[in-house]
Amino acid sequence: MNKREMISSEETEYELFFGPAHPGSGNFSVRLKVDGERVVSGRADPGYLHRGFEKLMEYRLPIQNAVLSDRICVFEALNWNLLHAEAVEELLGIEVPRRAQYIRVMMAELSRIQSHIVWYGVFSIALGFETGFKIAFAYRDYVLDLFEMITGGRVYPAGYICPGGVRRDLPEGAEERILAALEKVDEMLAWEETGAPFFPERTKGVGVLSLEDAIRLGATGPVLRASGMKADVRKDDPYEVYDEFDFDVPVLTDGDAYSRYRIGLAEIAESVKIVRQAVANLPEGDFIHPSLAKPGVKVQLPEGEVYVRNEVARGEGAMHLVGNGGTNPYRVKIRGPSLLHMIPVLEHLLVGASVADVPAIYWSLNICPADMDR
Amino acid sequence: MGIELLGRLVRNMVARPLTVSFPTESIPIPDGYRGEHRFDADKCISCGLCASICPNKAIELVEAPPDRREEYPKRYPRIDLRKCCFCALCQDICPVGALTLTKNVFLSTFDPAGAVRPPFPDRSE
Repeated sequence: MNKREMISSEETEYELFFGPAHPGSGNFSVRLKVDGERVVSGRADPGYLHRGFEKLMEYRLPIQNAVLSDRICVFEALNWNLLHAEAVEELLGIEVPRRAQYIRVMMAELSRIQSHIVWYGVFSIALGFETGFKIAFAYRDYVLDLFEMITGGRVYPAGYICPGGVRRDLPEGAEERILAALEKVDEMLAWEETGAPFFPERTKGVGVLSLEDAIRLGATGPVLRASGMKADVRKDDPYEVYDEFDFDVPVLTDGDAYSRYRIGLAEIAESVKIVRQAVANLPEGDFIHPSLAKPGVKVQLPEGEVYVRNEVARGEGAMHLVGNGGTNPYRVKIRGPSLLHMIPVLEHLLVGASVADVPAIYWSLNICPADMDR
Repeated sequence: MGIELLGRLVRNMVARPLTVSFPTESIPIPDGYRGEHRFDADKCISCGLCASICPNKAIELVEAPPDRREEYPKRYPRIDLRKCCFCALCQDICPVGALTLTKNVFLSTFDPAGAVRPPFPDRSE
C-alpha cells in the first residue's frame, strides 16, 4: 500500500517489524499488527539462530557434546553444561564426587548471576536507560574474570562441567577471588537500588501475565514466579547438592514487567547466598569421577533413556537423552525455557499493548533467541 | 533516593574507571587460559587421539616436511585455527603433554592460510 492509498483507505492497521535487526530484539523478530499506537496482534517469527544441536549431538561423543552444550545459550553456558552432564551421568549410572558437585553448584549459580545481570542490562537499554546497561556489563565482567580463571575462557567454558565432574580443579586462591567478585555483585545491586525511578513508571502494569495464563501457556522460572507461583526445580526436585543450601525462592504476585524485573534482582541476591555457602563448605576430594578422568573416546552409552530437568537462569531446562549402546547418543531432545516464553507468552502479552511498551514486555521475559532456536 | 544517588555520583566521579586503555595496558590473562596451541614434536608419539577427540575436526595428522622426515618419520598434528573452538580437549587427552594451550590470544589475521598451524612451523610443507 503506498502513501496515497493509505490516506484514502479506511484501513488503519499496518504491519510493523520488531527485529531481527532491531537493536533491542536479538536474533529474533516479531511481526506486529498495529492500529495507531495499539498492537492488535503480534506474531513471533523465530529461526534466525537455528544451529541444529539436537541432530549434531547424535554425531558426537558425550565429551564433545559437553563442549557443544555451551552454545545452547550463550549467557548461561554453565547451566546447560550441567544439564548435559547430568543426563549423561544418569544414563551411565555414575555418582559424581562431592567436591565436583559443590563446584558445579557454585559455577551454575555464578552463571545464573551473570545471566540475570545481562538481563538487567538489556532490559535497561530496551527502556532507554543506557547507564543501567553499562553498569550491568561492567559488573558482569567481574564474574567473567572468575570464569576465565576457573574454566580458561570468559564466555564459553568449553564443557567445564563435563560428564563425571568438572574438567579442572579450582585454581589456587579461587575462593578468595570468588568472594571478592560477589562483593562487586552486591555493589551492583546497591547501585540499582539507588537509581532509575523511571523503571517502575515504565514497567508497572505493563504486560500483566495472570497466573492462570502463565500456567496455561507454559511459563517457567522467573516469569512464572513473578505471576505468583512458587515453582523452582532447585527446591521441588533438588539435583546435585541444592538440598544442602539455605536459600529462598522469591515470588511476586503482580505478574507485570516490573515484578519480573524485581524477581531477577532478588534471584541474584539469592544466588550470591548460595555461592557464599558453597565456598564456605567446599569439601576436599576428587573433582572428577576416576573412570572419566581422561576425556573418553570409548565411553559406551548404555541402552535406555533419561529425562533430566534443571532450573537454568531463564526457567526450566530439560534434556531427554536416549542411548543405544553406541558411543554417540541415539537421540537428544532439549527443552529450553525461552521457546514458550517467546512464542505463546509473548504473543499473548502483546495483544492490546502500546507500541512503546513492546521492548519492555519483550525483555521482561528474559528471553534468549539462541536457546529458543537451538 | 535523591541524596543517596547524589553521594554515589560524587563517589563515582573520583573513582577509577572500570576499563583499562588496551594497547598500553591490559588485564592479565590467568594461567590455564585456552589460547593458541603449542606443539612439541619431540614429545609427540603420533597416537592420533587429538585428531579423534577434536569436536570440529580441526586437527589433521600430516607428515613432516621432506628434509626432516628422517628425524620425524611419523605423522604429526596440523591445527586449523579457523575451525578450532579452543575447548582444550586435545590438551586434556594427550597422553604425553605434547599439545598445550598457551595464553596467546592475538590470533586475528587477514591471511586465511596463515591460520593453519603446521607441526613444524619453521619450514612450510
